[in-house]
Amino acid sequence: MRIGLLTEGGYPYLSGDAGLWCDRLVRGLEQHEFDVYALSRAEHQEEAGWAELPPQVRRVRTAPLWTAADDGVAYGRRARRRFAESYGELVTALCEGEPPGPPDLEGPPGTVPAAQADRFATALYGLAELAHDEGGLVGALRSEDAVRSLERACRAPGALRTAREARVPELLAVAAHLERALRPLSLDWYGDECGDGGEGLDAVDLCHATSGGAAALPGLLARHFFDVPLLVTEYGVRLRTHYLSSGTGPSAAGPGSAPSAEAAPAVRALVAAFHGRLAAEVYRQAACVTPGNTHARRWQERCGADRAKLRTVYPGMEASRFAEVGDSLDTADPHTLVWVGRVEPAKDLVSLLHAFSELRRQEPRTRLRIIGAPAGAEGEAYLGHCKVLAAQLFPDEADGPHAVGDNPVSFEEIGGPEAPTLAEAYAAGAVVVLSSVVEGFPVGLVEAMFCGRATVSTDVGAVVEVIGGTGLVVPPRNPRALAEACVALLRDPGRRARLGAAARARALELFTVEQNITAFHGIYLELVARAPMRRFLFDDGDPRPFAVPAEACLPEHRPGPDPRVTPRHGPGWAAEPPARDTSPIAATEGAR
Amino acid sequence: MSGLDELDRPGTPESPGAGGAVGAVGAVGTPGTQGAAAGAGARAGAGAGPEGQRPTASRRGAADPVKALMHRHRELCERAVDPLEIAAGLEAHGVTDRTAARFRHRDVFSLAEEMYARVPRDGEAPPPAAAAPAPRPRLDRALLTLLPGVLCAAAVTGVRLTHGRTCLLVAAAGVLAVTLALRAVLRRGPLSPHRGAHPGPHRTDAWTCWLLGYAALGDSLLRAAVAGGPDGLPDGTADGPWPFAAAPLLTLTLACAPAAWSAHLLAVRARRRLDTSRGLEEFAASVQPLVLGTFALFLCALAALTPLSAEVLGEPAAYGHTLALGALLFLARLLTVHGFTQVPAVALGAAGAAEMLAPATVFASRLPGCGFLATPVEGLVAASGPAGVPSLVCGAAALTLLVHATRTLTRASAHAPTDQPC
Repeated sequence: MRIGLLTEGGYPYLSGDAGLWCDRLVRGLEQHEFDVYALSRAEHQEEAGWAELPPQVRRVRTAPLWTAADDGVAYGRRARRRFAESYGELVTALCEGEPPGPPDLEGPPGTVPAAQADRFATALYGLAELAHDEGGLVGALRSEDAVRSLERACRAPGALRTAREARVPELLAVAAHLERALRPLSLDWYGDECGDGGEGLDAVDLCHATSGGAAALPGLLARHFFDVPLLVTEYGVRLRTHYLSSGTGPSAAGPGSAPSAEAAPAVRALVAAFHGRLAAEVYRQAACVTPGNTHARRWQERCGADRAKLRTVYPGMEASRFAEVGDSLDTADPHTLVWVGRVEPAKDLVSLLHAFSELRRQEPRTRLRIIGAPAGAEGEAYLGHCKVLAAQLFPDEADGPHAVGDNPVSFEEIGGPEAPTLAEAYAAGAVVVLSSVVEGFPVGLVEAMFCGRATVSTDVGAVVEVIGGTGLVVPPRNPRALAEACVALLRDPGRRARLGAAARARALELFTVEQNITAFHGIYLELVARAPMRRFLFDDGDPRPFAVPAEACLPEHRPGPDPRVTPRHGPGWAAEPPARDTSPIAATEGAR
Repeated sequence: MSGLDELDRPGTPESPGAGGAVGAVGAVGTPGTQGAAAGAGARAGAGAGPEGQRPTASRRGAADPVKALMHRHRELCERAVDPLEIAAGLEAHGVTDRTAARFRHRDVFSLAEEMYARVPRDGEAPPPAAAAPAPRPRLDRALLTLLPGVLCAAAVTGVRLTHGRTCLLVAAAGVLAVTLALRAVLRRGPLSPHRGAHPGPHRTDAWTCWLLGYAALGDSLLRAAVAGGPDGLPDGTADGPWPFAAAPLLTLTLACAPAAWSAHLLAVRARRRLDTSRGLEEFAASVQPLVLGTFALFLCALAALTPLSAEVLGEPAAYGHTLALGALLFLARLLTVHGFTQVPAVALGAAGAAEMLAPATVFASRLPGCGFLATPVEGLVAASGPAGVPSLVCGAAALTLLVHATRTLTRASAHAPTDQPC
C-alpha cells in the first residue's frame, strides 16, 4: 500500500531529528510504497541535502516552514468574508477560557456530527478550504483583517483574562505566529483536481505523521478532505516541547525586535491554546496514535487522546552492535562502575560523584569510569566542574609506595584507548549507573540492557518503564540511595548476572528495531483494513466495501473493482511480517 | 509498582530494596533520604533538623508541602499561562508522578493544576513588554543618502564644464553613478522594503524614470511643442532649442536624504506608538498625525531644497512641479516600504501616462482634423505655463496616495516587525 509519510524538520533531510528512525522504518517496510511529505524547518537544513533514499520511496515533496511566499492573491469581497468568518471562529476558539480537557466526550472519528464538531476544527477546515479554493491565505493571515478579528476575539466577553490584556504588539505577534503555524494549509499537497494520477495526499492509503504539530496538520487535512486514515507517532509530545521552548524564551532565529512581544503572557497563552487545540484535534481525528513511552502517552491522554487509539510503540535501537558483548561472559572488573552518556547538567554527575564517595567508604577498591563527551559549552563547563570535584573528593592513590598513582574516578571519551567502542565501554563495568535528574527515553540504559549489564538508575522519565524490574531504581538526587544500590550489586555477582541476563532479554524483546518495524507494519495493515477504499462509491456516496481486492494495494498495481487476480497466495505483505534477523540472539537468549 | 507504596509509607524499614534479585524496582534507601528525594519543596518547607533524623511526620505535617514547592518554582508558576505549562516545567525539573504522589496528587498534571490555581493573581496588568529596540540611526547610512545628490551635482557640473564627446561621456557616467547610488539608498536603510514584503508584480522603475525624465525635459518639450517645435534634440544645456532643466533632478536626488530621515522617523515613532497602544483604533488615531507630520516635514525640506538648487544652477525654480513630483515619489516609496505595492504602482503609472499624453495630444493635434485634441493642454499651458501640466498630474496622484497612506499606514499590520522567529 502507499504510505504518506509526513515529517517536519526530519527525514529525508540529513540534519533531521527523527531521521534515523524514519529511515529504518522506510527500509524495513520495503513491501510498501512511501510518499514522503517533508516540511523543512530552516534554510540550512535544506542546504544540507537529503539522506539516501531507498527505491520504495516513490516521491518526495518538500515545503519550507521557515518562509512563506505571499502569492499576491488579493481576496474579493466573498473570500474576505469567508476568511473573516473562519479566522474569527478560530481565534474566538483560542480566546475562550477552557483548556483542552481530559478525554471524556470522545467518540470514534467520523461519528461526530458537523454541528457538534469543535469550533476550532470547523474554523481550521474552513481556512483550509479557503486556501484550497482561493489561495492567498498567507497574505490574508498577515493582513489587517486578521489582526482586527484577533482584537475583537480578545476583547469579547468571556475571553481569557490574559488575552484581554493583549496590546497591539502582542496581537501582532500572535497573528504572526498563527500565520507561521498555519502555513501547511497553503501547501499544494491536497490536489484532488489533478485527476486520479495520484498527485497529492489524496492518493495515499494512509498518512503517517512522524510527529504532532505542523507535521500532523497535512494529515489532518487529508483526513478531512479525502478520508485518509491518519497515524500519529510522537516520541516526544509536541505540545510539551512547545511549552518548554516557550518557557525559555523565543527561538534563536529572531535576533530582531520580536522577543519582547513573543514572551508576553497574552502571546504565550494564545499560542499555547492554539497548539493545545491543534493537538486535541489531531488526536481526535487520528485513527491511531503511537506514543513512544508511557510519559508521552500520559501527555496525549491529557490532551484528549482516546485511550482506545493509543498504542505505545517503543523506539527501536540497533541491537547488533551489542550482540557480542551481550553474549559473551562477564569479563568486567568486578570493582568498576561505568557511567556512559553525554555530559550535561541534567545528568547530575555531581550526585554520582557524591554517591561514589559514599560507596568507597564501604567498598574502597571500587573505581568509577565516566565515559562520554560534553554536550555544548554548558556541558564543557559542567565537565570541568565535575573533574575538579572528583579531584577534591578523591585523592590519587597507588598500589604501593613505589607505584605511580591515579584517581579512582576517570573521565574518558568513546574512541579513546580504554573504551574504543560503545559496547566495550559498557562491557568494562560490572555495574552501569545512570544518575540523571531529567531524562526522556533513556537510550544509554537500553544500551546497557542490550549489553547484559546490571544497572542502577534514578527514577526519572521513562526509566522505570524501560527497566521493568531488571535493574535497580533509586530516587533522583539521592546519592546515598544510589550508593547503597551500587554496593548491593557490587557485593553480589550472582544477582548482577541474573539482572543483566533479564535486562538483555527484556531489551531484545522490546527495544529492537525489528519490533518497532513489526509494530508499525501491523498498525498499517489494521488501519488500512478499517478504512475502505474511497475510490469506488455507491450512488449515494457511501464507500463500497470489498470493491477493491487487497492486491490493489500492491506496488505499481491498482486494479479497478473487477478482481481479476487469483487470490491463491494472498499478497506478500499480508502473509508474513517483515524479515527479522534476530534469530541467533534470540536463540542464545532462550537457551540460556 | 511496589515502590510507590513503599515510598509513601511512613517509617519504612532500613534498606528495603536490597533483597530480591529481579523486580527490585523501588526505593533503596532510608526514610530520611527519601524525604530528601521528595523534592526540595519538602526540604525547604520543613527544613528543621538533619536529614537523617527528620521525623516522617514533619514531612507530612508541614502543613502545606505544595506551597513550598510553589515557592521553589515560583518563577515558573508566575509566568505559566496554563496548568500544562507548569506540568511541563515541573517534569523538566525532575518531578515525576511518584513525586506528585507525595503531594497527595494522582499525577503531575493534577499537582500542576493545584499550583496553577493557587498562584496569586492580583489582577494588576502585567508590565508592558519592554520596548523593542528601535532601528538605530547609522551615520554611514545617513551619509549614503546624501550620495545621490552629491553625485548628481557633480555630474551636472561636469556636463556644464565640458563639451562635445567628453560631455556625453560625463553625462553617461553621471547617470550611471546616480542610478547606482539611488539603488544603494533604496535597498538598505529606512527606504528599503521590509523583509518579507511581497515585491509582487508591481514594478515602478520604468514609470519613475519616465517621470524624472519628464521633469528634466518635459516642460521645455511641451513649451516647444505648443510653439510649433521642437527644432532639435536636447544638447544638455539650458539655453538650446530643447533646454534641459537640471534643477528638479538635483532637488529630487538631494531630497533622498530628507526622505530617508523622514521614513526613519516614521518607523521609529510608529514602533513606539505600537508598543504603547492598547488597541488598533487607538494606534490608528495616534499614527495618523504622525504620517501627516512626516509628509509635511519632507515637503518642507523639499521646498527648501528647490530654490537652493535652482539658485546654484542658475535656473528658475519650478516649485509646483518639483514639489508635486517629490511628494508623489516619497509617498509611493513609503507605501512600498510598508508592503502596499499595488496602489503606488497604479498611481505612478497613471501620472506617467498622463504626462506622456500631454505632449502626445499636442503633436497629434497637428494632424488634419485633430486640432481639438490639444485644446485642454494648450489652455493649461496658457494659464499656468508648461509646468502646470505635470504639477496638476503629479499633484493629483500625490493627493490620492496621501489619502491612501492615511488609511493604510495607520494599520498596525503595516508596522509589524517582519523578522520574527520561525
